[in-house]
Amino acid sequence: MRLPPARYLLQRIIFAGVTVLVLVSVVFVLVRLTPGGPFDGERQLPEAVEKNLRAAYHLDEPILQQYLRYLSSLLTGDLGPSFRSKDFTVNELIAAGLPTSATLGLLAMTFALISGVTIGTFAGLHPDSWTDRLLMALNNLNLATPTLITAPLLVLLFAVMLSWLPAGGADGWLHFLLPAIALALPFSGAIARLCRGSVVDTLLADHLRTARAKGLGRTQLVMRHVLPLSLLPVLSYLGPASAALLTGSVVVEQIFAMPGIGRYFVEGALNNDYTLVMGVVVVYSAFIASLNLLVDLAYAWLDPRLVIAQ
Amino acid sequence: MPLSLVYRQFSLKRCCRYISVTLLIAWAFSLQASSTEETLYLGNSGEPGTLDPHRYNLRLEETLLNDLFMGLTTFSAQGQIVPGAATSWTVSEDGLTWTFNLRKDLRWSDGTPLTADDFVYSLRRLMNPQTAASLAYFMYMLDNAEAVNRGKLPETDLGVYSQGPHTLVMQLAAPYPFLPERLLYPTAFPVPQHIINKVGAAWTKPEHWVSNGAYTLAHWQPEAFIEMHSNPHFVDSVAIQRARYLPFANEQAAYNRYRNGELHAIASFPANELARVEKNNAASLRQSPLLSMMYLVFNTRRPPFDDVRVRTALASVVDQNLLADKVLRSGARAAKTFTPEMITAYQAPPMDHSHMPGDLIERAKRLLAEAGYDAKRPLRITLRHVSGNEEKRVNLAVAGMWRQLGVQTQLQHGTMNAHFADLRQGEFDVAWAGWIGESNAEHYLGLLASDVGDVNYGAYHSAEFDQLIQQARTHADVQSRNKLLQQAEAVALREAPVVPLYSLASRRLVNPRLGGWYDNPRDIHPLRYLHFATDQPRP
Repeated sequence: MRLPPARYLLQRIIFAGVTVLVLVSVVFVLVRLTPGGPFDGERQLPEAVEKNLRAAYHLDEPILQQYLRYLSSLLTGDLGPSFRSKDFTVNELIAAGLPTSATLGLLAMTFALISGVTIGTFAGLHPDSWTDRLLMALNNLNLATPTLITAPLLVLLFAVMLSWLPAGGADGWLHFLLPAIALALPFSGAIARLCRGSVVDTLLADHLRTARAKGLGRTQLVMRHVLPLSLLPVLSYLGPASAALLTGSVVVEQIFAMPGIGRYFVEGALNNDYTLVMGVVVVYSAFIASLNLLVDLAYAWLDPRLVIAQ
Repeated sequence: MPLSLVYRQFSLKRCCRYISVTLLIAWAFSLQASSTEETLYLGNSGEPGTLDPHRYNLRLEETLLNDLFMGLTTFSAQGQIVPGAATSWTVSEDGLTWTFNLRKDLRWSDGTPLTADDFVYSLRRLMNPQTAASLAYFMYMLDNAEAVNRGKLPETDLGVYSQGPHTLVMQLAAPYPFLPERLLYPTAFPVPQHIINKVGAAWTKPEHWVSNGAYTLAHWQPEAFIEMHSNPHFVDSVAIQRARYLPFANEQAAYNRYRNGELHAIASFPANELARVEKNNAASLRQSPLLSMMYLVFNTRRPPFDDVRVRTALASVVDQNLLADKVLRSGARAAKTFTPEMITAYQAPPMDHSHMPGDLIERAKRLLAEAGYDAKRPLRITLRHVSGNEEKRVNLAVAGMWRQLGVQTQLQHGTMNAHFADLRQGEFDVAWAGWIGESNAEHYLGLLASDVGDVNYGAYHSAEFDQLIQQARTHADVQSRNKLLQQAEAVALREAPVVPLYSLASRRLVNPRLGGWYDNPRDIHPLRYLHFATDQPRP
C-alpha cells in the first residue's frame, strides 16, 4: 500500500480551506439578515443606551468593515466577544463547551459503529433468514424515529420512571450514557443497513468463492476478506455521518441540557448572538472539512484506483 | 440434569461481576445523593448573559445577582421591601433629596470595608456611556442622569454623593416616591471599585470575584451551572453554605430533572403538566400570582386602529375570564385593568359592568359599522404573538372572539427577540405584549405615555392621558400621585389603546424539605432565607 501523492493532498487541503471561508461568509450575512438584534432582550432599551451598546460591539460600522474586521481577527484565532454572554469571549465559551461535545460525539460514534457493524454483518451473513428480517425491520423502525422522539422517551423511561440515570447535565460519565445512546441510534441504523448490503454483495465475489474453496474457515473469511471490503461504504459514510452527528448533537444537547457547543449554537441563534453563532460555525465547519479530508485520504489509501482516476 | 462444575463456576463468576458493577453504580448514585445534602441545586430559567449588575438585562440574572449582592434596600423572605445596606433613609419635603444611612458593618467578600463612596462610584459607572449599561434608564430619576448617560455631562455631575463613609445622598430631578422599590434592582447595587480598577472586565470571573451579598461566585461553567458559596463577611449568617443554579431554557428538561430528584427547586414547568403535578406532586407545587400584565396593543399609527371606535369594539368583546380560566388554566388571573390587581396601594378605576355579553356584541358591531366595517366589508387584522403554546392558544381564542363581530384575524408568530424588535419599530396591526414589573401603577401606565419612546409600542398619544401622567410625576406623595394615575388609567381604558388580558402566575416545584420558601407576587426567593428541614432555620 502506498500513500496518496502530495498534489492530491494539497488539492484537498485547499478545497477544505475554501469551503470553510465560503461557509463563514455566507453565515456572516445570514445571521445579520435574521429579524431582531442581539440587544432585543426582555426589556427594551432607550435609543441612547442602544447606541452605546452598538458602538461598544462595532455594530455601528458598515457591514463590509465588520466582515473584514471579523476575518482579520479570525486569522489570529480570535473569535471575538460574545454579545449575549458578556462575561465570556467566544473562544472561552467554545473551550468550555468543546470537551462535552467531543466526548458526546466520540461516545455516540463508538456506540453507533459497534452496534451498527455487528448488526449489519450478522444480518448480511444470514440474508433472508428470519433473524435478518427481524433485525432489518427493527432497524428501519430505528431509522424512521427521529432523535427528537427517542431522546425524550429514553429520559422518560430511564430517568423519570426508573430513576436509573440522570435526566440531563454533564457532571459525570453517567450523564453521558443516555445522550450518547440517543445520538447513536439513527447512525447505528444507517451503518447497519450499509454494512448488511455490502456484506451480501461481498459474499458473492469471486475471490471469496476461491478462498472458500481453498478451505478458509468461516471466521477467518469474514474477518480477513468480508469485513475490510464491506467497511468501505461505512467509511465513506463517516464523513457525512460526523456532520449529521454534529447537527444531531445540537438537538441532544438541548434535550439533555448538556453544556456543549451545540447548545451554545441554539441559544446563540435564538438570542441573535452573531459572534457566538459564527464561532460555532467556524469550529463545526473546520471539523467537518478536516474529517472529510481524512476520509478522502483514508479512501485513497484503501483504494489507490481513486487517486489514479482523478 | 445437574449443572456441570464449569458452568456453575462460570455463572458464579458472572454473578459476582454483575453484583460488583451494580454496587459500583449504586455507590456512584449514593455519592451524588450525599453531595445533594450539602449543596442546594436550583433550576434557573436560562443561562445568564452577565453577572455584572450594570450590564444585566434579564430577570433570570436578577435571581442570581440578588444572592451575590445587596443594595440599599433588599427583599425579605416574603418578597417585601426591607432595608438592606441602608439601615434607614429620609426624604426632603420636596421629595428631591434622599439621604441614606448605611450600616456600619458593611464589608466586601474580601474583607475590605464598603462605604458610601462605593455606591457613588457604582452609580457613576452605571451611567457612564462606556459601560453600555442596557438598563441605565432605571436610574434616570437621578439628577442629570440622562445627560451623563448620553455623554453630554461628566459623571461627577450625577445627582449622587457621599457625606462621610456611612451617608449617601441622592438628588433627584423630579420627585420619585417609588425609589426604595427601584433600588431593589441590580442597577443600583454596589460593585467593587478596588477590584475593577485592578482587573477590569475580568472582575466577573470566579477567580477575581468580590461582592457584598450573602454569597460569592465560586464556579461558573457556561450552560452547565453557577456555584455560589456563602460570604463569610456578609452581615448575617446563612443556613445554606453552597448552592448551584442550573440553567434551563427548556421547562420540560427542568421538570424531568426535578422528578428524577436531581434538583431541589425549579423556576417553572410546562403548563400542560399542571393537572398531573396537582395530582401526584401536590406537596411540591408552588403557585403564586406574579406582578405582571399581558395585553394586546393596537398600532395607532395604522388605520383603522387610530379609530377609537374600532379599538373599543375589539377590546369590549375580549373575555378575559374565559382566557384565564378555560384557555390558559395555568393559574393566570384575568385582568380588566392595565394595572395588576396585586398592587395594594393603588385602586384601579371602576369598571362599567352595565352591559350584558349579548349587548356588548351588538354594541361592538354597531361601532364597527360606524367605522365602516360590516359583513360586506369585513375588518381584516393580523394579530402577532411570540411563538409558544400558551401564547398561541390565547391569541387563537382572541381571534375566535373577534370572529363574532365578523372580523377576520390572521395569526403571525415569531421568536421573542424578533417579535419585540418589530413591536418597537411599529411593524404590526395588533400584537400580544407583556410586562413583568414593579408594585406601582406608574410602572405600567408609563408604558402608554407618549414620551417613553418605543416601549409605547402602539404609539398611543392622548393629550389628556399625557397631562395626567406629567402631573402625577410632580407629586412627591404616593396617594395624590396615585389619584392622578387612576384618572389617567380611566382615560386609557376608555380609549382602549391596549386590551388588558391577564396577569401571569409563577409555577414552581419546590422540594417540601426546603424551608424558608414563601410564595410572593415578585417570585423572589433569596437563598439566604432558605434552609433544609433537617437544619436549624436562620434566627
